[in-house]
Amino acid sequence: MTLKAAIIGYGKMGRIRHDAMMRHGGFEVVVACDTAIDPNATIPMTTDPLAVYDYNPDVIICSVPNMMIPDVVCEALARGKHVFSEKPPGRNSSDVRRMQNAESAHAGQVLKFGFNHRVHDAIEEAKKVIDVGTMGDLYFMRGVYGKAGGENYAQNWRNDPALSGGGILIDQGIHMLDLFQMFAGRFTSVQSFVQRKFWTEVPVEDNAFALMKNADGVVASVHSSATQWQHTFRLELYLRNGLISIDGILSASGSYGAEVLTMALNRPDRDGNPSPNPESQEIRFTEDKSWDKEVAEFYDAIAHGKPLRCGTSQQALDVMLLVEAIYAADPEWNAQLKADAQIKAI
Amino acid sequence: MQTPVFIDQLPDVSAVVSHKSGQYRHQRNKALLDLLLKDHSDWQTRSACPACGQERGKSRSFSHTFMDFQRCSNCNSIYAADVPPQVVLDNLRLEQINATEPGKDREFEFISLLNWISLTEARLERSLDSVLDVRFCTQAPDWQDTVQRQSRNRSWHFLPLTPDDGTFASLKAKLRETNPKAVLVPAEMDRTADPAMLLQVIRENSPAGTIVFVTSSCADGLEYEILGADSPSFIPLDRLTIFSICGFKTLAEKSGYEILETSTPGRFDAVILERYFKSADNADIPFWSGFFREADKNRLHDLQILLQRSLKSGVLRFLLET
Ligand SMILES: [Zn+2]
Repeated sequence: MTLKAAIIGYGKMGRIRHDAMMRHGGFEVVVACDTAIDPNATIPMTTDPLAVYDYNPDVIICSVPNMMIPDVVCEALARGKHVFSEKPPGRNSSDVRRMQNAESAHAGQVLKFGFNHRVHDAIEEAKKVIDVGTMGDLYFMRGVYGKAGGENYAQNWRNDPALSGGGILIDQGIHMLDLFQMFAGRFTSVQSFVQRKFWTEVPVEDNAFALMKNADGVVASVHSSATQWQHTFRLELYLRNGLISIDGILSASGSYGAEVLTMALNRPDRDGNPSPNPESQEIRFTEDKSWDKEVAEFYDAIAHGKPLRCGTSQQALDVMLLVEAIYAADPEWNAQLKADAQIKAI
Repeated sequence: MQTPVFIDQLPDVSAVVSHKSGQYRHQRNKALLDLLLKDHSDWQTRSACPACGQERGKSRSFSHTFMDFQRCSNCNSIYAADVPPQVVLDNLRLEQINATEPGKDREFEFISLLNWISLTEARLERSLDSVLDVRFCTQAPDWQDTVQRQSRNRSWHFLPLTPDDGTFASLKAKLRETNPKAVLVPAEMDRTADPAMLLQVIRENSPAGTIVFVTSSCADGLEYEILGADSPSFIPLDRLTIFSICGFKTLAEKSGYEILETSTPGRFDAVILERYFKSADNADIPFWSGFFREADKNRLHDLQILLQRSLKSGVLRFLLET
């Protein structure tokens, strides 16, 4: 079964999705839409997002900026299309709820969001080992995800809260939060510090620190940073019988390094107490298969009716609520945003 | 096939000294000498590399002291050109074990094996709730005690070392009787007269899907590469076949196994080499003599991890599936 696909938003992400669909083989990309026509494109292009429907696609790939996502997704669902959308799922939880409502109104259609970190090899391997139970109960998680600003930081739509919903936390840190929720479920209690340190004139955070706890008492801390001059992805999980860490994450830029999964089971002494620094097992992953796995899951959900495991609208809502809770938990940050708004109004 | 890296603290030099003490080497070499003085018409001559099968004429000499050892020019494995019958080897080994005073505490090493099994079980998502230990219980007398204390969630079966006529009949019987999900072979491959036969017996007497944990010395290790037959770990009677990674892989595949995982978790290469170069003033090998004489503990640790990551340490581990 070949699915006809239209890509709305044919930038870096749209092209990554295009390549992954080609590798999969179950898709035919019939048209792409962007603000300008690429004369070198190998497929028909349009600048009108509604014109893609003239090509009668089965699926819409939505790779547009955050503020446009709900409109594109809801329009596509209303027209009977299956939808794959990039993260973040809009700018806030109301955006996600709007899309969820559209999804419920079209029960036979698939809506999947691109939280690809869940399907990175190192993460999947870690999840498997934890789920089997060998490591015992999860105690706590620590996550650091950060980069050095980004291209054209001050002018980029990603850093205009009206267009994106926030700064580095909603753009990049959201992946770490999504992983936290994958391992530990929803967090019920959140504390945070949200700051802008380097780009003080840009109205979004460049650093967010949060400490959170779920109903079972699992604690997680995250630091999401746009002043992490040395690009870093590090996720540590400590469990009753050992530890797991993931250093580095394979990305299009390659700047976060290879994914190194480290697992160690405790080495009990003769009294049964864990000795420090147990022997660890390190596994290195060098090939990013996450794009292919996402496309394959999307295809299987449509063609074979398999339920989605990753990127459901419920997961999207949960993580967006957590992002909002982190923003809301720092009164100083909210006072600063309020002051910004007053200055802007004057 | 995955290639995990096992990372642990670097052993201190005193651990290395007792690792293969001078006395132990002396005893084993004396036993070998006695053996050589007897009639050895019943020894088996190896006309080809026991790992990859390349004919012996194409190999290089590795050592002539006591016995002729060859280094395969195809797969880099090191092997004795002639091997005594299994029953002779087993008897000598038992004599040696019985005469040996209790050694250092090997609990760290034992827990490493137990954790390897546990993490493998988790990663394969397959219960390995019954394990057959092949002869390690005799080779390392404290092993069984550690297993009983630290691995209560599995049922363990132990096959002790008994003189075998080379057909591994007791192993066959034990495999059939216990039907284990996993077989642990930590100290046999380099010592046995016919490793291909050992692999074959395990495979033919285990149901498909049985996981086999193998550890052995590794000819790709930097210690063997630099020191050759002078390597303190090279004790001919214990090392009739020192497999390279490529060599063991070839043999295991030829024997019908699927290879799930390969690693070289050896921790001793760097400290053994440091000790060698610091005590042998006249040893002058370009680059390495200076490197090891100047090396501090951190540099040795970095090197050892690099060796493990590059599959170049002196011990190998293979995870096989029947
Ligand atoms: Zn060979």
